Amino acid sequence: MSTLDTPAIVAHRLVRTFGAVRALDGLDLEVPARTILGLLGPNGSGKTTFIRVLAGLLRPTAGDVLVLGRHPGLETAPHVGYMTQAPALYDDLPVRDNLVFFGRLFGLSTREAKVRADDLIALVSLTEKARTLVRDLSGGMRQRTNLACAMIHRPRLLLLDEPTVGVDPELRVGLWDHFRSLNAEGSTVLVTTHVMEEADRCDAVVLIDAGRTIAEGTPAELRERAGASTIEDAYLWFANRRGEKAS
Amino acid sequence: MKPGRVGAIAGRIVRQFRHDPRTLGLIVVVPLVVMMLIGYLIGDSGKEPLPVAVVAGGSPFAPTFVRTLDDQSAIEVVVTTDDETARRQVGEGDIAGAVELPSSPGGPIVVVVAGTDPGVQGPVMAATAAALRQVATSLGLSSPLQVTVDRLSGAGRLSTIDAYAPVLEVVFAFFFTFLLTSVAFLRERSSGTLDRLMASPATRLEVLLGYLLGFVGFALLQALIILAYAVWVLNVNIAGPDWVVLLVIVLLVIGSVNLGIALSFYARNELQVVQFIPLVLLPQVFLGGLFWPVQTLWAPLRWLSQVFPLTHAAVALREVFIAGVGFAEVRGRLLALVAFAVAMVVLGVLALRKQRA
Repeated sequence: MSTLDTPAIVAHRLVRTFGAVRALDGLDLEVPARTILGLLGPNGSGKTTFIRVLAGLLRPTAGDVLVLGRHPGLETAPHVGYMTQAPALYDDLPVRDNLVFFGRLFGLSTREAKVRADDLIALVSLTEKARTLVRDLSGGMRQRTNLACAMIHRPRLLLLDEPTVGVDPELRVGLWDHFRSLNAEGSTVLVTTHVMEEADRCDAVVLIDAGRTIAEGTPAELRERAGASTIEDAYLWFANRRGEKAS
Repeated sequence: MKPGRVGAIAGRIVRQFRHDPRTLGLIVVVPLVVMMLIGYLIGDSGKEPLPVAVVAGGSPFAPTFVRTLDDQSAIEVVVTTDDETARRQVGEGDIAGAVELPSSPGGPIVVVVAGTDPGVQGPVMAATAAALRQVATSLGLSSPLQVTVDRLSGAGRLSTIDAYAPVLEVVFAFFFTFLLTSVAFLRERSSGTLDRLMASPATRLEVLLGYLLGFVGFALLQALIILAYAVWVLNVNIAGPDWVVLLVIVLLVIGSVNLGIALSFYARNELQVVQFIPLVLLPQVFLGGLFWPVQTLWAPLRWLSQVFPLTHAAVALREVFIAGVGFAEVRGRLLALVAFAVAMVVLGVLALRKQRA
């Protein structure tokens, strides 16, 4: 369906409205294959809406979007992993059963799903909790289970919606190691965050505000263009500049 | 105790309702619908009379009897001379009953009823008895006219539990199943796992059929417990073949599972699911011929009752339990149940479209 060099995501003048609210307001964005892209923006800037469009859960109101060279839907679904912001898991099933179920849903055989589930459980350091019911896990453990579920089918594109919210620093470093290792296997990773310092871990960063792209580049480039020492200051500089232009 | 805190809690509840127009709407609509139905069913106006055939047979008091019977609002008389056709129509449920008058004054008067539905049989018997009393008075007879009742099916007089066991079976099988699936599917949505399902390569039909298969076993177990209790503890007699009873229940339960899934998409929370229950269940109980005969309903309500799965399931089970008929006789009802189940799958697939781009 796509060559290795097809951009993982292309969005062109993408618009999505909810009633009078324009959650995405002409978003332009291109994510080359095999990169880790950080999507940075404050709460309500359209990050989750964009991810839900990419996951095939929301139809764009206008504009165009391609995921791995296709419109998001049943054809792209087998290659996309979606980690929801709040853990979306079956509370009354053990960790391992959750993973095996989602593996089966993505077309793995039961045997493959079990092998893959055990690998991922080890990767997110939950081996001792594999047979624990999800409802008995701590918040951080749920988040790790949630991530493992999104990676069960070795997706070519991994969509992570604020994966490190409410996660302690030690685990945050661990999760980023997972994203890196997945990326090293050839996957593209899109991470949304409003924690600005996380941006420095990405290959490239797109800053969005009110459903539009306000700047893009490597973290170093963005800091340099804004003459700022941190990504946070750079973000404020770009957001401010756009506000002045608009008025 | 601080009144301020109590007031804050009470005020918060009222404010929450203001932001939940659907719940508020259901609070108003549900009791209105229920009371309108009950008022209609218990009241006398707007109901169709039950058709009853009078086989005149050259009886001298036939004209008086036909006039007095026809004067009763609950009954509409069809005069005939063909007692065999009349009996067949009673058996098939086309008419509510037939009164066979004797050719000589002292001969036997026979009231023919199907014997499967107390809601039909009761009004026919009462109206006939009332008409005969007036005939006796006008003829100046000192003793009342003797009547024998001929039930086409059912062994003698039906006990209350025999008459209502089929109805209770369908109502509770349907209700419990609907409750089970609608709440379970709502949890799928509120936990976020439905997003995961919809972001996977699974098609909407696969999701719905998976749900159906998963739930049907549990729903069937509930229905069978009710049935087993009726048969073994309450000694309800099933005259017809058991497998037809099971088939009716399986089809009804499948339809109910699908309805629960489809409707759970229109509920935002558990409270609304519970509010849907009277809306889904009571019109079927009231209009489905379970307690009040369908024949007496105002025509549009009668047509509506033919859409309800409970109508068909109740008639089918009644005929199998009491009249002892087999598959061939309830084929049409089974087909209606299949149609309902398929329609609910379609509704479920349509509802799932909202969850995916």
